[in-house]
Amino acid sequence: MNDDIDQLLRNRVSFLADAGPDEDIAISSRIRLARNLAGHRFPVAADSAELHGICDEVSEAARESGALGCPACFSFDPEKMNELDRELLLERRLASRDFLNRPTGTRLLVKDDESRSVMINEEDHLRIQTMLPGFQLDAVWKQIDELDNQLGSRLDYAFDDRLGFLTCCPTNVGTGMRASVMLHLPGLVLTGQITPTIQGINKLNLAVRGIGGEGTSNQGSLFQVSNQSTLGESETQILERLNTVIGQLIAHEKNARQLLLQRDQFSLLDHVGRSYGTLRHSYKLSGEEAVNCLSGVRVGVDLGMFTALNIHTVNELFIGIGAAHLQKAAGRALNAAERDVCRAALCREKLKA
Amino acid sequence: MLCDICKKNEATIHIKEMHGGETHTANLCAACASEKEKNGELSALGFNLAEMLCNLGKISSVLKPPQEQTQPERATVCPNCGWTVDKVRNFGGRLGCPECYKVFAPMLAEAIKNVHRGSVHLGKRPQSASHDGRAALEAELNNRRHELDALIKREEYEEAAVCRDRINQLKAELEQLTNGEVDHE
Ligand SMILES: [Zn+2]
Ligand SMILES: [Zn+2]
Repeated sequence: MNDDIDQLLRNRVSFLADAGPDEDIAISSRIRLARNLAGHRFPVAADSAELHGICDEVSEAARESGALGCPACFSFDPEKMNELDRELLLERRLASRDFLNRPTGTRLLVKDDESRSVMINEEDHLRIQTMLPGFQLDAVWKQIDELDNQLGSRLDYAFDDRLGFLTCCPTNVGTGMRASVMLHLPGLVLTGQITPTIQGINKLNLAVRGIGGEGTSNQGSLFQVSNQSTLGESETQILERLNTVIGQLIAHEKNARQLLLQRDQFSLLDHVGRSYGTLRHSYKLSGEEAVNCLSGVRVGVDLGMFTALNIHTVNELFIGIGAAHLQKAAGRALNAAERDVCRAALCREKLKA
Repeated sequence: MLCDICKKNEATIHIKEMHGGETHTANLCAACASEKEKNGELSALGFNLAEMLCNLGKISSVLKPPQEQTQPERATVCPNCGWTVDKVRNFGGRLGCPECYKVFAPMLAEAIKNVHRGSVHLGKRPQSASHDGRAALEAELNNRRHELDALIKREEYEEAAVCRDRINQLKAELEQLTNGEVDHE
């Protein structure tokens, strides 16, 4: 079990480290599918024995079908893991907080390159996930559709002729699909256009969430746009709608950056330069400050201000500065003050030109 | 806590909204919330859907005249998992098992209509599901219509003609199904 975590830790995080379309603004594209097994209670109502049985049934289907590259895939049972290793899965976006909070009977299967994974017994029996760098929902859909077919050929999914895939929460019923793109929108934030933009997108029945702590205000100008409705449209139609809106959003962001350069060039350069200076020369960095500075540096990389600095280095730092990642790298538990010191050291090291 | 709108009634419905990346909570009484809902204002906000689903259940039970708020409805229990109306509400609209969709269908119908853009599944179907049912035909018809628009836009007229033929065939099959149902009655 611990070997698996250590191996995972040595992985490049491909959705951050590899190149993708529109990667200057779109960081990653992800789709999750909710699926349940007919004849079983949903995890919220099931007992421990039933939950463990479901884990085995899904693992078996993955192994037989070769989905996720199983049996050579990672398999994690959170109830047998320590707090730190569990947090690591969260920081790598392989597990949700809800999933890790469940007391028993959960399992996470992950393809060796982390591009595909399945949370067993989160809110639904299966939450299938695929993720790719940049803005490429159609390619992500192709992958997850295939993965879903592999598992679905060996599992009896709960399905209703008119309601589609039956999910624990009726907000996911139908396609069970939640598609999202993580966007870096500093131009819209700095020009004050982000609030009306978010309101506009909400009116189109799409959700916008700030990233960097659920419920808190957004950090680092990172936003996630996703569909809300899962019933009454095909997957392709939902993705088309998302593609159109996100395409427009990317164009807006580009315009906003141009506008900043034309109207207020020195404010933008100052913002980027100070962000870089902080990351390059600090000896104590809080998580929030680091995320905001990384966001500033990312704009500078996009504008061609740092020729020696690669955008993927910056992307990977967003995960590397996480509390669990810092502690795993240090090989021991760290308190908040120690983490700030380690975080600053990591940023200095990685940004050394 | 008093309702944000009328400032008189107790607020029982709490809707989270996102503004500029910050979360605000709107606290409403059932009457004001149902007023907003009727005006279609709720669907324009970026609020927590699970919460709304659960709250809509509350709204409809409040709106129903007392004689219709019958004991049997409140006492509905899913025979498969033991889930109750109270549990649906306490767990934020979540259900206990796939069978619950049938057991709580009347309560769910309105909520599902409010949350989603349609009420019939038009997407992917598991390989094991039947492909000749009405919903399957409707789903394919929807997808083919979509495909036809795209083909015409790309000026691929030969492909479009094939697609149109399939659409007509699907329409005929659906009509046959409808007539069949009438005959059986
Ligand atoms: Zn009121
Ligand atoms: Zn049930």
